Amino acid sequence: MHDIIIQLVTAFTGSLGFSLLFGLRRRYLPPASLGGMLAWGIYLAVDAWLQSGFLACLLGAAFAVLYAELLARRLKTPAILFVVPAILPLVPGSFLYYAMSSAVRGELELARSYGRQTALYALAIAAGISFMIAARELRTRR
Amino acid sequence: MTLSKEEQSVLLDSLLEMGELLLDAGAEISRVEDTLSRMGTAYGAQRMDVFVITSIISMTMEFPGQEALTETRRIRANGQTDFYRVEKLNELSRTCCAGPLPLAELRQRLDRIAAGHKPFAAVLGGSILAGGSFALFFGGTLWDGLAAAVFGAAICFLQDRLGHTRLNAAAYNLLISLLIGLGVGLAAALLPALHMDKILIGDIMLLIPGLAMTNAIRNMLLGDTISGVVRLAESLIWAAALAGGFMVALTIVNVLH
Repeated sequence: MHDIIIQLVTAFTGSLGFSLLFGLRRRYLPPASLGGMLAWGIYLAVDAWLQSGFLACLLGAAFAVLYAELLARRLKTPAILFVVPAILPLVPGSFLYYAMSSAVRGELELARSYGRQTALYALAIAAGISFMIAARELRTRR
Repeated sequence: MTLSKEEQSVLLDSLLEMGELLLDAGAEISRVEDTLSRMGTAYGAQRMDVFVITSIISMTMEFPGQEALTETRRIRANGQTDFYRVEKLNELSRTCCAGPLPLAELRQRLDRIAAGHKPFAAVLGGSILAGGSFALFFGGTLWDGLAAAVFGAAICFLQDRLGHTRLNAAAYNLLISLLIGLGVGLAAALLPALHMDKILIGDIMLLIPGLAMTNAIRNMLLGDTISGVVRLAESLIWAAALAGGFMVALTIVNVLH
């Protein structure tokens, strides 16, 4: 429980940091950072429920896109302003690092496993984004 | 609004400028194409053919009863993501589509946007906050978070320094990750309370071409396959350079230990 709270809080501040870094206007900072926290919340919930990091990541990314598109429509801004901060906590930075560090130590089996995880999570993010874009296209083309 | 031949070429030039600014600030290809087409139409063009990939903008405008005008611009920008500019340009495009601004004013506004940057203080603060937060996020202690924040600031200064040189993105990532990897390794060797892995993971998040990859996928799905593939290849090369720099640093640290 303690860990979950830390993760949610730091997902918020991490997304806030990136929003600042990308030069997002001050009044958009709170909703952009909230997106990161909510997307990570979805990840944690789905992961606990279905025991699948892949699906959790996919649904987290899909949520991030949906959230960003709705917000962008309301605020009349490009959606990309909110998509990127919301997706960032899902980026598998730790798997990438452990893949590299085990490769350096010569533990190739471990490196391969982490490398596969990294690729899988990246794929999940891509799939989550694609589902939402496809859904939007279907709605607007009608 | 009817434009003379000269005015048309002034407009064409302004629109290319606008496209370059958008692309440089990290907007998706489809947004750049869409914005330029709308702008042209708002100024009375009957037909706009805009083709954008990561390194070129090509644009043909056709006004009723006149010869078509075409210009191409090679984009060499290796710019940093700047949402401030994306938003300002989006605002400008909305204004023009509601009622076209006089050409001189359009130019003036573009120049003003081009002169304005996201504030360096925000970039520095953001790097510190993001680096520190992600170290904690991935299970680091408070000390790891602080160290990652310090190295986040170092990354920000390095990027600012190297950003002015004409180093290509791969060499640039290789150099930064090597320096940061060595720095963190040294800090962790001197201060045993620090966990090198958590600190580096926090700071990797600052260097991963996450935005470029996300954009690549978005581009491909929105039908801009060429740009998507180019961006994806680019970001994979950056990621490999990043990994290479860290691996060399880790190897050196391992040997010294």
